[in-house]
This record gives sequence, structure tokens and C-alpha cells, in this order.
Amino acid sequence: MRSNMLEAPSVEARAPASHPERVSADAILEVSGLVKDFGRFRAVDKVSFTVPRGKIIGLLGPNGAGKTTTIHMLLGIITPTSGRITYFGKEFFSHRQACLARINYASSFNTLQGRISVWENLLVFAHLYGLKRAGARIKELAAYFEISGLLDTRYWNLSAGQKTRVNLIKALLNDPELILMDEPTASLDPDIADKTLSLIEEARRASAVSMLYTSHKMDEVNRICDEVIILDRGQIVAQDTPLGLTKRIQTAQLKLTFDGDRHIVEAFLVERRQTYRFPHPYAVSIDTTEKLIPSLIFGLSEQGIWITDIEVKKPTLEDVFLQIARGGDHED
Amino acid sequence: MRIERIAAILLQELFITKRSLEVIVDLFFMSLMTVIVFGFVSRFLVGALNANTGLYLILGMVLWEVVRVNQYSLSVGSLWNIWSRNLSNMFIAPLSVTEYVAAQMLSGLIKTFITFGMICAIAAYGFHFNILRLGLLNLVLFFANLTVFAWAVGLALLGVIFLAGTRIQALAWGFIFLFQPLTAAFYPVSVLPPALRQIAYALPPTFVFEAARQALSRSAVNWPYAAAASAENLAYFAAAVLAFNLMFARSRKTGQFARNEG
Repeated sequence: MRSNMLEAPSVEARAPASHPERVSADAILEVSGLVKDFGRFRAVDKVSFTVPRGKIIGLLGPNGAGKTTTIHMLLGIITPTSGRITYFGKEFFSHRQACLARINYASSFNTLQGRISVWENLLVFAHLYGLKRAGARIKELAAYFEISGLLDTRYWNLSAGQKTRVNLIKALLNDPELILMDEPTASLDPDIADKTLSLIEEARRASAVSMLYTSHKMDEVNRICDEVIILDRGQIVAQDTPLGLTKRIQTAQLKLTFDGDRHIVEAFLVERRQTYRFPHPYAVSIDTTEKLIPSLIFGLSEQGIWITDIEVKKPTLEDVFLQIARGGDHED
Repeated sequence: MRIERIAAILLQELFITKRSLEVIVDLFFMSLMTVIVFGFVSRFLVGALNANTGLYLILGMVLWEVVRVNQYSLSVGSLWNIWSRNLSNMFIAPLSVTEYVAAQMLSGLIKTFITFGMICAIAAYGFHFNILRLGLLNLVLFFANLTVFAWAVGLALLGVIFLAGTRIQALAWGFIFLFQPLTAAFYPVSVLPPALRQIAYALPPTFVFEAARQALSRSAVNWPYAAAASAENLAYFAAAVLAFNLMFARSRKTGQFARNEG
């Protein structure tokens, strides 16, 4: 797929002279005790985390959790009340331009200049980032994202999916070491969102770029993130791998379709103190723990119940998110 | 400050201007129509009054366009990016606010040169009013002082837009007209009531317009007026830079800068 992008130089080979810390430092971004108050309202409350080199970190949270405010502080367009942001070992606010030259940003909430063409927009940003071979780089990325035919189109005439691709090209123009992505697929239909995610995954494989990725979509986060930070009311309430987070929820849902007497099934489940419901007369849905699932299945078989179908629904990241958002699993 | 980044913003301005009927109408077309109307009115007045008095209108109008186009370009230039929700993208790139503002000023200056050249040519060939009769040095001083005043107003308005958002965007193209009567662009300051005369002399363009009217009959430089305009401009520009920096910092602190595009 898109061999020209894959021909991009490897992380180590890409301009080591201009990025001397690139190989030595493990943390691309370090955030420490970040606070943002808007008047009396504390939007972000002592948030600390690290984005290691080559990793994708998901930033999850309900509306108003502080995700976008955090991203805006990391980009310098909102001033923090207190705290420290360090990129590549350099304090952000005293090395703003040097840091911004090595990172980039993509969001469905920001667009490019609507009335000028895709090519013109990208050319402006290429010059802002000081690219030497601006035209060649734009063409290379346009081919990779399959929008070469749209370069002369005005940006406002593009579809949502096409705009997202152009935004991603903008975000990759300077060959960044870190991309901050604020819900990049928010306005896309599932098919285009899936393709966009594939492009992000491909871009990551090709250039080993790190990402900080905010989204409401749990399946996306589960798919591309190495680690997930969950924010709620401005605070980090959980931080783990997607698998590690789902393991925090011990419950699973067991759905059995059976051939036999429903009353026997019900009596068995009452005796085992299980929570259950019958969606229809020959199916039962049981909220249980993963370790009890085998004993429930064998126990019902021993009662003479012929089980014709078994479905186990394990907790998803969405379940974790909902549980945390409802106040059920705060680390602190 | 990197020339390359300033050039990038100028490039964007070129692309936007080229593709925006609004900019072409607001700057070039309006200037063109105004010089034509004022040219005919001046021609009429030259016949009815003494020759120089009749030229006050076209002279004032040609010089006023230096203020209007410079200020419009500086303040409205950023609105194009705010309306497109692209301004944050610009500042997420390694662009400093000084580079951005410098580029917008330069863009305004280029547009003003083009517009000024165009309307001066029309005034000369259509209405027999040659701006060079003011004297080249006078013209340079007038142009420079009017430009710096326009930048000061434009910069302050840009700060207000960053601070308060697009709900006050009409000021970007409308506020400058407050100064048109106060600076006596088309008539002698003596026409103004005494209280307004005090205000008029607190504004640098007043000295320019007065000196320009004098120069119609004698092209010698009025150095006291040039000095007064320059000194006031220095104060206005310094105040505008300070106010802009405070408002820009405040808009990033309150989150308004990010919300401008939301």
C-alpha cells in the first residue's frame, strides 16, 4: 500500500543532525501537574503523563472532561494556570517554536483555509514549517493519501472524509515526531472513519510517529492506542493499556440458548445467586464473573439442560469508560 | 523572526485575495468607485469654488484610502483564518505572533501600494489631479504616517478580535470610519467645533491632511506637522503593540483564542 510513503526514511535516518535528541530521549512529551482554571471552574486538574517515543496514547473522557483543553495547552493556544509541559526534554513555553517545529496537530474541529485550494493550503504550511522540497513532499503525501486529483480543488468543496485526509497530510508535512489528534474521525461515517484509522496506522508504521489521540469512540481507541488515559472532570482517573483497563471489570455477560425447562434453569441460577434475565423463553442472559462461566455451563448441563449456543460478552473499553464516568472505578 | 514564515503568510494572503471577490470588492472596487465619485464632485467644486478648495475632496479621499486599506488588511486578514477555523493551525505551526503581525502589516502595505497607485492614476488621467504636485518627500511622509496610524488602529482591533471573538468583527472594517470626520480628511480642521478640534489634533492623520491641503498651493514640507504626526504615531503604535500583546495573552489565558473558531 502506498509505497511512496513507505519509502520515507526511517526514524533514525530522518535528519538526525537537526533532531539530536531524537534517538536518546525516550519521552517525547512529559506533562507534569498541568492545571487550567477558567475563573472558578477547574477544567484540568493536576494532570501528569508521558508520551513515550513511538507510542500512541489515547486520551478519553466524557464531554467536558478536559481533553480538548489539555490538547490546546499542549499546543500553546491556551495558557496553563500552572504545570509544566516538556517536549524532547525542552520546556515548551521557553522553546515554543523549536518544539512546534517537531510536532503537529490534526482535528476535525479545525479546518484549513476554505476558499483556497488544497495545494495552496499545504504550500503555505510547508513554508511555515520551513520545508526545503515543499512541492515534492506535498505530492508524495497526496499520493499516499490518494488525493492527488484534489490538489487543485478548493478546500471548502471537499467532503468530510477528503478534508480529514488533507488535515492528516498537513499534520504529516513536517515529518513530526509527535502528532496530537483531537477526535480526527468525529465527523466521518464509519466506512471513512475506518479508512482514516487505517491511514493513521499505516503512517505510524511508516514513520514511527508518536501520537496523543483523543476520541469518544472506544473501538478506535482500542484499535490504535498502546495506552489509554481516562480523564473525568479534569482529572486522570485511570491509566493503563486497553486490555489492562478492561481487566479491571470482573463481570462478563454469558448468553445461553437452551433446549429444556426454563424453571430448572431459573432455579439453578437462583441457587447460584446469579443475576439473569430471559430475553425469550429459550435464552438466558447472565451477568457473572469470567471465572464462573465454566461451572455455570457444566452445572446447567448436569441439570439436563441441553445448551445449543453459548455467547460470552467480555467487558469492553466502553464498559470501563462508562463505569469510570459514572464514578465506579477511580484509581484515586 | 524568520523571513520564510513571513513569506508563507504573504503567500496565503495572495491566494486568499486572488480567490476572494469580497477582498477585491472591499479594497480595489470600493477604492475605484470612490475615486470616481469624488473625482466628479471635485471637478464640479473646482468650477464652483477656488481650484484648490475644490480638490480637497479628491485629495482627502486618495490619502484616506491609505488608512482604510492598510487597516482593513491587517484586521480582516486574520478574520479570514478565523472564519475558516484555520487560525489555530497557523499558531500551532512554528509561527510567532510577531511574524504573523509583521506579515499582515506587509500584506496591507502591498495592497495599499497597489490600490493607491491605481486610484492616483485614475485621479491623474480621469480628473487631472496629479498627486505628485504635493512633492515627493511630502508624499512619502504622508504615506508613512497614515500607514503607521492605520497599523496602530488595525493592531488594536486585531487584539480586540482575539480577545472578544467574532461578535465584534464588524469593527474590523467599520471602526476606522470614526476617524474620518475627526481627522478632517476632507475639510480644514477649522470647520470642526472647538472641542472636536482638540481631539482632531490628538490624531496623527489630522496633521497629514492639513499639511496635504497646504501642499496643494505650496509643496514645501510642513516639518512641524510632520514631526507632530510622527511623534503621535510613535505613541499610538507603541500603545497598540502593548495593548495587542496584553489582549493576545489574555485571549490565550481565557481560552477565547481557541474558542474563536469553535
